[in-house]
Amino acid sequence: MANNLLLTLSVRYWQEFQDTLSKVMDANIYIFDAQGNPFSQFSLPIELCREINKGETVTDSACLDFYRTTFNQLKDRELLTCPRGIKLCVYSLGNYMQNLGYMLVTLDTGTAPFDREKEMVLKAKAYNAYRTINEVLSALLEKNLLGLQRLELNSIYEISRLMTSITELDKVLDLITNALIIIYQADLCFVGLRIGDKIRIAQAKGESGHLLGGKEWALLHPVIERVFSQIEPSLLTVDELRKLTGVSHLEVSSHTEIILYPLWTALGIVGLLGIVVPMSLGENGKRNLQIYANFAAVALANATLVSRLEEEAKTDFLTGFLNKRALGFALVEELQRAATYGYPVSVIFIDLDDFKSYNDTFGHLAGDVVLQKAAEIIKSCIRVTDIACRHGGEEFVIILPGTGNENALKVAERILNSLENHPFPHRRITASIGVATSRVGDSLDSLLRRSDEACYMAKKMGKNRVYNNN
Amino acid sequence: MEEAAKDIIVRYETLLKEMWSESAKYLGTLSTNLLVERVVWELSQEYPAVRLLKYGPEGISCAPMQVNEEKSFNDLEEMFMRFVTRYVSILAKLLGHERAEEIRKKIITEFGGAC
Repeated sequence: MANNLLLTLSVRYWQEFQDTLSKVMDANIYIFDAQGNPFSQFSLPIELCREINKGETVTDSACLDFYRTTFNQLKDRELLTCPRGIKLCVYSLGNYMQNLGYMLVTLDTGTAPFDREKEMVLKAKAYNAYRTINEVLSALLEKNLLGLQRLELNSIYEISRLMTSITELDKVLDLITNALIIIYQADLCFVGLRIGDKIRIAQAKGESGHLLGGKEWALLHPVIERVFSQIEPSLLTVDELRKLTGVSHLEVSSHTEIILYPLWTALGIVGLLGIVVPMSLGENGKRNLQIYANFAAVALANATLVSRLEEEAKTDFLTGFLNKRALGFALVEELQRAATYGYPVSVIFIDLDDFKSYNDTFGHLAGDVVLQKAAEIIKSCIRVTDIACRHGGEEFVIILPGTGNENALKVAERILNSLENHPFPHRRITASIGVATSRVGDSLDSLLRRSDEACYMAKKMGKNRVYNNN
Repeated sequence: MEEAAKDIIVRYETLLKEMWSESAKYLGTLSTNLLVERVVWELSQEYPAVRLLKYGPEGISCAPMQVNEEKSFNDLEEMFMRFVTRYVSILAKLLGHERAEEIRKKIITEFGGAC
């Protein structure tokens, strides 16, 4: 009851109110939260309880076990005797829809025996205390929920507005998950994006978020299939969540509510939004979250589309290498980094020999196969940190960040030999390769030009060779 | 307003500003302000003065608290402490405990154990 979605209540102010009520009614009052944890302190000094618990709060494990068992079996109210012999009246607080906690009322008589009259007094006092406390709690709850809804709706409005104007996928994913963790105090929040026939978790935050990142779930998985078979959100059990691939070890409390929202737009499935919250969001919360999920779907669809277009705009379709436009940006970036950190950058310029005649003789389709295979071979000869680009036609450029001239030459020789020795269809394929390494003050144009000139020299000197322009 | 209260506000304002800008580096200003709004809402019942915190795209400020001299603020130190504790606990969920702890340590070092 202290700080959760249902009720944000100041313990200190509550205690003042409870103590005053106790004095007026001449009965001891004590409150537990909805999970059976002690919330307030004893209002009146009952020596036995103080002794056992060494203070004003219930801490003794036997007492706590007794109360929790009682709360679990309690319907509305009950008159009983605690294991230490104190007669008490227990009430469940809240309403039929929501349990807010439990109230204990005792008379300040310790373990003295109770006659019928005393029992009636206890019952009457407990009933009056219950009526007062429950009304106060209900009023506070209503105020709290209104406050939360205002916060919720304001946040949803602000974030939705921003989400649909941002096109960077990472930022959109961050915004969606951050906001849900903050607004709903979620233990875990994740967004999965549709990739073909799978949902891939693109962002996950919260207690075990790191365990979820990158996991892939087939759309045909029974749990995922159920999520996408309806427009409304799906409530999952912990076991159902753990059935999904790669999350069998996920630590999720059994009391949490797990909700999965399918994210749709007019174009189809975008992905899914998952949230694990410590307390039920209630119908209003789920509806508000649905509005949020709808905006999230649009924002993610936009950002995914932009991201794909950006990727396609810089990639050569045939080889998967960067295209000439992206080469310029990549080389400028590497030259700037090299200047900052003081390391060299080398560039290898590759031109396949007599490729025009290969195309003219065996057709463009055969030529495309050679280009694809040559790209594969080049890729196998370089590091993952090196940047491979298709400069145009049968020309390739490799950027080698942090590589000096000597090592760049070795890489160039390796590419030359690998191409020459590969059994291409119809005839042998060789290349003329130029190598240049950055100098102080080199620009994109000057470095690229020197590597191109070196390639030209290699061609001029008889092809199938490496020429070093250093 | 007593001098001591003014001092507390000034001291914590510097701390909150540092916390805000460190968080904004990782979360962005919108999420950071949402986080502040959430914590303000949570504490506002117990500490009405927390509503006087001003926050927006430019950062966080305690200026409205400083100009409300005619009002007496009780439990300022406690209010700020609770604010920082709650803020960091949510931050840990967003950034992971490691990074949140890094931010907390950095703030502690810079502010000589103020939180």
